Amino acid sequence: MKNTILILFITLLSVSCKKEPQYLVKIEGKQLPISAEIASDKTIEDFILPYKEKVEAEMNTVLSYTPKDLVRIDGKLESSLGNLMADLCFERANPVFNSRTGKNIDFAMLNFGGIRAGITKGDIKTINAFNLMPFENSLVVVEMTAEKVTELAKYLIAQNKAHPISKQLNLIVEANEYNLTIHNLPLDDSKTYFVLTSDYLQNGGDNMVFFKDPVKLFKLDYKVRNSIIDYFTEIDTIKVELDGRFTKEN
Amino acid sequence: MKRRNFIQKSTAATAFLTLGGLSMQSFSEKNTKQITILHTNDVHSHIEPFKNNHYKYPNQGGVARRAILVEEIRKENPNTLLLDAGDIFQGTPYFNFYGGELEFKLMSMLKYDAATIGNHDFDNSIDGLYAQLPHAKFNFISSNYDFKNTILDTHVKPYKVFEKDGIKIGVFGLGIELAGLVDPRMFKETIYLDPVEIAQDMSRILKDDEGCDLVICLSHLGYHYTNDKINDLKLASKTKNIDLIIGGHTHTFLPKPTVTKNSDGENVLVNQVGCYGINVGRVDFYFDSDKNKTSKGKSIIV
Repeated sequence: MKNTILILFITLLSVSCKKEPQYLVKIEGKQLPISAEIASDKTIEDFILPYKEKVEAEMNTVLSYTPKDLVRIDGKLESSLGNLMADLCFERANPVFNSRTGKNIDFAMLNFGGIRAGITKGDIKTINAFNLMPFENSLVVVEMTAEKVTELAKYLIAQNKAHPISKQLNLIVEANEYNLTIHNLPLDDSKTYFVLTSDYLQNGGDNMVFFKDPVKLFKLDYKVRNSIIDYFTEIDTIKVELDGRFTKEN
Repeated sequence: MKRRNFIQKSTAATAFLTLGGLSMQSFSEKNTKQITILHTNDVHSHIEPFKNNHYKYPNQGGVARRAILVEEIRKENPNTLLLDAGDIFQGTPYFNFYGGELEFKLMSMLKYDAATIGNHDFDNSIDGLYAQLPHAKFNFISSNYDFKNTILDTHVKPYKVFEKDGIKIGVFGLGIELAGLVDPRMFKETIYLDPVEIAQDMSRILKDDEGCDLVICLSHLGYHYTNDKINDLKLASKTKNIDLIIGGHTHTFLPKPTVTKNSDGENVLVNQVGCYGINVGRVDFYFDSDKNKTSKGKSIIV
């Protein structure tokens, strides 16, 4: 009996509860800023702490040492940091490329805007590599015709700024003439060149259109940042000079 | 209304006797219902607030603060959904070190209800995203990424219907075209389907088949582009029966939600709250069972 009444009750309840149509009458919308006025949830903070400590410890790991400030503005058409970046990417990437293809990279080129932070004289830590290269760009080797390499040289001259290029490339501009050599040899129209850059630039970033539609593209699966970290880990003291690899003579 | 408790505690007889009173109380007094939608987008692994000396966002953002804000709003209105429009991953060393584990765990602690998938959520490849799924106690919703030939098959829902205070809220998700934006080796055999067609299908399914009172689109298409690429504003104009589009991708800091028209000439809200957890969007929907009130039209306050 008790059960019957209960069932009856529930039935009645569900009948009378049968969804009444609901009409949307008002909408209010706004943005709520997450500012310092809002307190922090202690449970969340405590939960983050061990992760934070590990990240910070890792970030503060000393990888290498530089006896001078590494910046991108200490030269006109080259810089200590730009030369370092292009050269270290070449150095790290060439063995990978060579082991997969049996070929060698001719030179490396990155972009001035991609150097995101300088490194102050003293210890170089993991965080420096993250600040220098916060993006997840990967290294690629672009097989280019000599014609495209000429376009690349003309781009460098027209841009007139210190885009990082590795030491295998030498570009001297004099009046309206220029002299381009790669491995101390003039450009050979009959051959193709293997140029190391980032996937971002290969996709036309910074208007480097000459990297588009290559003869062949080789993806190295090697992040630019990781090549920097690997280089710093391996090299005890960073030595880098301005060597006039790209100069304009008046 | 704790009806279950009420039934358990009462004897059948008293339950029966008080039925009249109960129904009076629950259906005539409380005929206005409120649903609160809270949302984020493009948080990009920003766990902690920006430093005090940050050039752009000094001392802003932070998950621990967001937790307090969300908790207070939930106390004020338990009928709240917390949603994210994608790009949870990538942007701080937390992602580089833990691959998204901390992001998902914290979102679970904040009791996120659902998120859609942004292009950066593929940054450790589809396998990297899959590997982190056990840390997420919320739903992933994507309607126009077909994952059937991938490891994510069955782990991502095309839509989900939430019910709060008797109001049915349908949520579906739209992702941006991946080709040209994400390395194919990352998204593998994910198939991108036309977002407009999918949105038309989804809104029909949610409104007509599922009988939803509210339809929300979680979009990672982007707010607006100068070229003819599909975006949230275009999407709104080409669809109907969507009440709110929660956007992402373009990191657009809208001062307030945009009110625009759908293909039936009805109002749609499009909102996006920039990036990095700097803001949380809040949209409150008020319902009334009194039809007369709707004859005056629904008011939108932004």
